[in-house]
Amino acid sequence: MAWEADVLSVLKENSISLVVYLPDTALGGIIEAVEDDDWFTAVNVAREEEAIGVLSGGWLGHQRGALLVQSSGLANTLNAIGSLSKPARIPFLGLVSRRGDLGEFNLAQVPFGYNMPALLDTMGIRNHSLAETDTVARDVDMAAKSAFSTEEPYVVMLESTLIGAKDEY
Amino acid sequence: MNTDTPADQYECTARLLSITPDAAIVSNLGVASYVLAGVEDRARNFYQWGSMGSTTPIGLGLALALDDPVTVLDGDGSMVMSLGALATVADQNPPNLTVVVWDNGQYGTTGGQPSASRTVDFAAVARDVGLAATHVSTTDDFEAAYADAVASDEATVVVCDVEPVDPDERPPFDFAHIKWRFRDAVAPSE
Repeated sequence: MAWEADVLSVLKENSISLVVYLPDTALGGIIEAVEDDDWFTAVNVAREEEAIGVLSGGWLGHQRGALLVQSSGLANTLNAIGSLSKPARIPFLGLVSRRGDLGEFNLAQVPFGYNMPALLDTMGIRNHSLAETDTVARDVDMAAKSAFSTEEPYVVMLESTLIGAKDEY
Repeated sequence: MNTDTPADQYECTARLLSITPDAAIVSNLGVASYVLAGVEDRARNFYQWGSMGSTTPIGLGLALALDDPVTVLDGDGSMVMSLGALATVADQNPPNLTVVVWDNGQYGTTGGQPSASRTVDFAAVARDVGLAATHVSTTDDFEAAYADAVASDEATVVVCDVEPVDPDERPPFDFAHIKWRFRDAVAPSE
């Protein structure tokens, strides 16, 4: 729970009180803690594209938000990010468990997961890979500050070296 | 009295604004936004120019963040695309949220092709996921149903059959300007 606790502290320090997610094993510790803490508003969406809408509505209502999904789920958000977040300059902090790279066993996770940083770069959505636990607090904090000061999304990819690869060989 | 079927979307939008002049309104891309801008281009309107299917989720996020009444003006095509969002709305059930679905039976901004709304009972879907919902077909019935929805203490869906229209009006094109204008006009909840 060490790095997850760092993320929770960073969310609070940056006044990010709206957390929109789809359940995920790697992000489960953060999601459970957020659900158990009344300081947060937690929204479990049915499909990830909804999350961009909910986060955008929150920002319009002066509430900062974070998106917690898998990289496959982030693929479900791309039209909303491209046609709402980006042109309207509506920020959120993305915390995305990245599949498809080191240790991936499932080809279905590869096309979007492995290529997600390139896809985000192509759309002009800044992103950063986080591969080690000791820089989680620093890097997530900096990503949050950059997202909300520039009013554009910033996505942090939590790599398999940090969150662990799913082992189903 | 206006009991013609289907309802007049312009007149319904005007009456809606009379009932909730201070509501924060999120309008779907295309006809819903064009009509709203034509009736009154106000700072508390957040128009969509893209992100089809996201209108109701935006309203949900707004309703969770604000104490003010929040009204979504969605369309049948967008709602068919995002029926699952109704489950998320039901799960959160913010009392200050009213979701209006203008059902003109067609994709109004892509040439008027028929939508699946012919076979979808939106109010029944909303009720099945746990939301309060009504279905109306005249302007007068819409006015009454909307007033009830706003007064209720739960998130409510109002489905209104409307005559297709082809508006000339357009909202401002500058996304970031609309965002800033809207944010400046609404105050965060305490």
